[in-house]
Amino acid sequence: MYSYAERLKALRETKIEHTLIKKEQWGYTNIDDFGTVPISPDYEVEPWYNSTNGSFYGFDGMCENFVRVINAHEPYVDPNEMLCGRWRDMLVNYRGDVHFLPEWLKKKPKTMELMKGVTSQWSKRWDEQRFPYDDLKPLQKKYNIVTGIDSDSHLTCDFTIGFELGWGGLLEKVRKYREINTDKKDFYDAEERCILAIMDFIQRHIDKIKEMIAGETNPEIKKNLETMCQACENVKYDPPKTFHEVCQWTAFRNCASRIYTRDGSGFPLDVLLYPYYERDVKAGILDDETAKFLIANLLLIDPHFYQLSGVDENDRDLTNHLSYLVLDAADSIDIACNLTVRWHENCDKNFMKKAVYYLCKNKNGWPRFCNDASLCEGYMKNEGIDKKTARERVAVGCNWMCVPGKEFPMNDVVKINIAKVLDEALKDMKEEENKSIDRLFELYEEHLKKAIEVTAAGINLHIEHQWEVTPELIMNLFMKNTIEKGLDISQCAELYTVGIDGAGLAIVADSFGAIETRIVNEKLLSWDQLYEALDDNFANERIHAMMQSAPKYCQGGTVSDAWAKRLTDSWVKAIKGQKMPEGRQLIPGWFSWARAIEYGATVGATPNGRRKGEPISHGANPVPGFRKDGAPTAQSNGIASIQCGYGNAAPLQIEFDPQIALDEKGVDVILNLIETHFKQGGTLININVLDKEKLLEAHQDPSKHPDLVVRVTGFTAYFASLSPEFRQLVVDRFLEGI
Amino acid sequence: MIKGIVTDIQRASVHDGPGLRTTVFFKGCPLHCDWCHNPECIAFPPQILAYPEKCIGCGMCEEGCFSGAKVPCGKEMSTDEVLSQILLDKDYYGNEGGVTFSGGEPFSQPEFLSELIDKSKAEGVHCAVETSLITYHEEILKKLDLVMADLKIWDDDLHKKHTGVSNKIIKEHFIKLNTLGIPIIARTPVIPEIEQGIEEISAFLHSLENVIQYELLPYHPLGESKRVALGQPKTEFTVPSKDYMKELEHYVFVR
Repeated sequence: MYSYAERLKALRETKIEHTLIKKEQWGYTNIDDFGTVPISPDYEVEPWYNSTNGSFYGFDGMCENFVRVINAHEPYVDPNEMLCGRWRDMLVNYRGDVHFLPEWLKKKPKTMELMKGVTSQWSKRWDEQRFPYDDLKPLQKKYNIVTGIDSDSHLTCDFTIGFELGWGGLLEKVRKYREINTDKKDFYDAEERCILAIMDFIQRHIDKIKEMIAGETNPEIKKNLETMCQACENVKYDPPKTFHEVCQWTAFRNCASRIYTRDGSGFPLDVLLYPYYERDVKAGILDDETAKFLIANLLLIDPHFYQLSGVDENDRDLTNHLSYLVLDAADSIDIACNLTVRWHENCDKNFMKKAVYYLCKNKNGWPRFCNDASLCEGYMKNEGIDKKTARERVAVGCNWMCVPGKEFPMNDVVKINIAKVLDEALKDMKEEENKSIDRLFELYEEHLKKAIEVTAAGINLHIEHQWEVTPELIMNLFMKNTIEKGLDISQCAELYTVGIDGAGLAIVADSFGAIETRIVNEKLLSWDQLYEALDDNFANERIHAMMQSAPKYCQGGTVSDAWAKRLTDSWVKAIKGQKMPEGRQLIPGWFSWARAIEYGATVGATPNGRRKGEPISHGANPVPGFRKDGAPTAQSNGIASIQCGYGNAAPLQIEFDPQIALDEKGVDVILNLIETHFKQGGTLININVLDKEKLLEAHQDPSKHPDLVVRVTGFTAYFASLSPEFRQLVVDRFLEGI
Repeated sequence: MIKGIVTDIQRASVHDGPGLRTTVFFKGCPLHCDWCHNPECIAFPPQILAYPEKCIGCGMCEEGCFSGAKVPCGKEMSTDEVLSQILLDKDYYGNEGGVTFSGGEPFSQPEFLSELIDKSKAEGVHCAVETSLITYHEEILKKLDLVMADLKIWDDDLHKKHTGVSNKIIKEHFIKLNTLGIPIIARTPVIPEIEQGIEEISAFLHSLENVIQYELLPYHPLGESKRVALGQPKTEFTVPSKDYMKELEHYVFVR
C-alpha cells in the first residue's frame, strides 16, 4: 500500500518516534518543536571561533560556522514523503549560550572545551568585548527586562524574492552587486558562501535520492523518488516553477534559515502558493489530493508560522481554494502546526467555520486567529504607515506581525516585567510617611519610565551593532535593499517599528485593585499591615485570603478591570512618549511569551496575595481562577479592553473543555466568541481545546501521549517536550479554565 | 425597583439552553427533589455554605470570611444589578443565545422575574426560563422566547415522595402552556433508582405540539458537596450508566 493516507500514517508514526528521541537528546526544551529530526550518533561540528569570548560574530564568523553546520547535516530523505530535507542543529548552539545547551551537545567534550572562552558572560551571543553595555545592566536587572540585545531572526522575509530568483538568481544578484559596491566585499563574500553551501545541501539530497533509486525495487516508491529528485534538481539553481517545486524550495530555504538563526517566520501560505496551484491544476499536472499531501509534507518538515485568509488593501477577501486545502492538509497530518487564520468581516464565513471545526476536532491548538482590523488600523497609527503597508503586514510570528522584506521589528524579544516595576514602587513608598494608592501609582509610573528608557537604550545598541554581531545572512537574501546596498537588514530596513511587550498585567492590576478595595474603600487593612504581609510573604493567612479574594481583572466591571485599563493607558503613553533616534518607533503590547515562571521568580510578594517567587500572570490573561465559572466571555471582554493599539498584540489565551467543542453548537459558540472578541478590538486568540484525561495522563507520564500538542502561547509544542514545571503551568491554566 | 434573591450568575453557559447564555439562579423552590443538584437554591432566605476544610482558623468569622470556609449564598439584587451582569455578554449571545432564568424556581419570585424579562427583552436579549411548572403565571410565560420545563416522574405518589409535590398540577400546566405557542423544551432528570415512567412521560409530551424537544438529563452528583456544605445528609443516587441512557434513548425527540 502506498496511498497518501497510508504514507501519512507512517509519517505520523515517524514523527512520534522522533519526538521521543528528541526529548532524550535535547532534554526538556519548553519551546517550539521546530520540525527537527534527531541528531545521528556520529554527528559533530567543529565550530570556528573568531573571538576570544568563546563565540563567533560578524560576516566571517557567522558565515564560516553556517557553512560548517549545514555541511555536517546529512541529507534526510524518507520515501514516504514527496519532499525532502530536515534540519537538526543550529548555530546558536555553538555561541556560548551555555545555559541552554542541548543534552547531546554537552556530550561532545571537544566542542565544550572550545566554547569555554575567556569571559564569564551568561550568554555569548552578543559580543560584549566590543559592544559592552555594563552601564545598562543594573537597571535592566532591576526591572527584569528582556532586552532584545543579541536576539535574532524576529523579522519576516519576502518569500517572493526567493520564488522569483531561485538560488541561482540570488547568487547572480549577490555577484552583480559585489561589483557595484566594491567596499562591501566581506558582506557579499559571506552571502555568496552561504548560498553555495545551501546549493551543496540540496546536491547532497539529490545524490542521496539517486542512491536510493538505484536500490529501490518497488516501482511506486521508485517513481516517487524520481519525482522528488527531479524537483530538487529543478530548484537547486533555478526558481521553482511548479507547486511541487515551490514547496520543495521552501523546505530547503526553511532548513537553511533555521540552521542559521532558528527563523520560523513564514508567509501567507494560501495567497503566495495559489498561482502555482492554479497553473498546475490547469495544466493537468496537479490534483487536490496531491496538493494536500505536499502541504502536509511541508508542514511536517517545519512548523513555520504561516498566515491563511485575510483581505487585500481594498478589503477584498483573500480566501481561496488553497486556504481550504491547507486546513485539510494540516488535519491530515495533525502535528504541531503554527497556522494563523487572519479574520476580517469580509472573509469567507465558511472558511472561518472550517478553521474552528478543525481546532475542535483535533484539539491540537491550531489554527489560531488574528484580527485584521485592529492590527491593521493600529499599525497605521504609527508614523508613516499607510493602509497598503499595514495590510502587507502578516501574522507569521509567535504573537507578532511583520511587513515582509521591509520591517525590522524585534517583536517578541523585548519585554518589561511590570510586576517587578510595581515591586520597586512598593519598596520606595515603604520609606515614605504618607502612603496612598495615588502615590504608589505615581512611583510606579516613575519606575516604568526608567525601565522604558533603559530598554530603549538596549534596543538602540542592538540595532546599531547587530550587523557586526549576528548579521542575518540568510534572511538578507529575501529582504529589500540588503543585497542592493550591501547592508545587513538591521542597517537598512524601511521600517523600524519595534515591539515592546509588558508582562504581568493581571498581577499589577489585581494588586492595585486589592489595595483600593481592602485598604482604601473597606479600610479592612492598613498600609503597615500590607507591608508587613509583603515582608513576611503573607504569613498571616487571613490577610492572604483577604487580598486574594479581592475583585480581579476580567471579572467584569470590577475595580481591577478599571486598573487594567488605567495601566494600559499609562503603558501606551510611556512607550509612545519614549524618544527614539533614526526614525525608530516603539510599539506597546502585552505579552509574556512563555516566561510566567521565570518572571515570577524575581518578584517579591505582591498585594494581590501572590506569594514571593510564584509565577506572574500569563500574557494579557487574568490570573487563573479569576472567576468561579471561568467564563471565556468575561476573559474576552477584559482582554479586549486592554488592547494597546499601534499594531502590537495582547492575545486572548483560552482553554476550552472538549465537551463544549464536540458538536456543531460548540463550533458556533467558539466562532461567535472569536468574532465578538475581534469586533471589540481584540488582536489575537490562542485556543486550546484539551482533553482533560489525556492531559493529566500525559502530565504524569509524557511518553504515554507523545502526540499531544498544546498551544503554549503563540506557539504550539509537544507536551512531552515541556519540563515538569512548565507542564504544571499548562495543566493549572487548563483546569482553572474549564 | 423590585429586588430578588439570587444565588449566582453564571456566564458563558452552554448547558442551559441554546447558544451561549448567562444563567441567573433564583433562590427558593417549592419542590424538594431528593436528587436536586442545586440544593442551595431550595430555601428562600440567604444561607451560608460551610467548607470547613478551607478554614484557616483565624477566629474572625464575624468580621467576614475570606478563605472560602463560609460562603454566603443568596444575595439581594435589584433587577438593574442583574441586568447589568446579563448585558456584559450581550455581544456573545448571537442569534440563539441569551439569558436563562433558573434556580430554584424563578416563578417563585414572579414580580422580580417579570421585570427582569421586560428589561432584558427591551435590550433585545433572548429570554428562557427553567421551571418546574409548579406555578403558572400566564402573563409572564407569554413574554418568554423559550420555556424549559421538567416532568420528573409520571406516577403521582412517587412524584410526591421524591419532590414533595403532586405532579397533577404540573401536567395541567404543561397542557395550558402548550396553548401559548411558545417553544417548550421538556426534560427529565434520569435517576436509575426510581421508576420514573419515562415511556409515559415521553408519550404525554409528544402529544403536546409545542414541545419541540424532549431531553433526558443523566443524574450527576455535583450537588452533593453543596448538600454537605449546607449541613444536609448526602443522597444515595447513582449516575446512570451509558447503557441505561442508551436504553432510554428512543424516548427522546426533537421536532
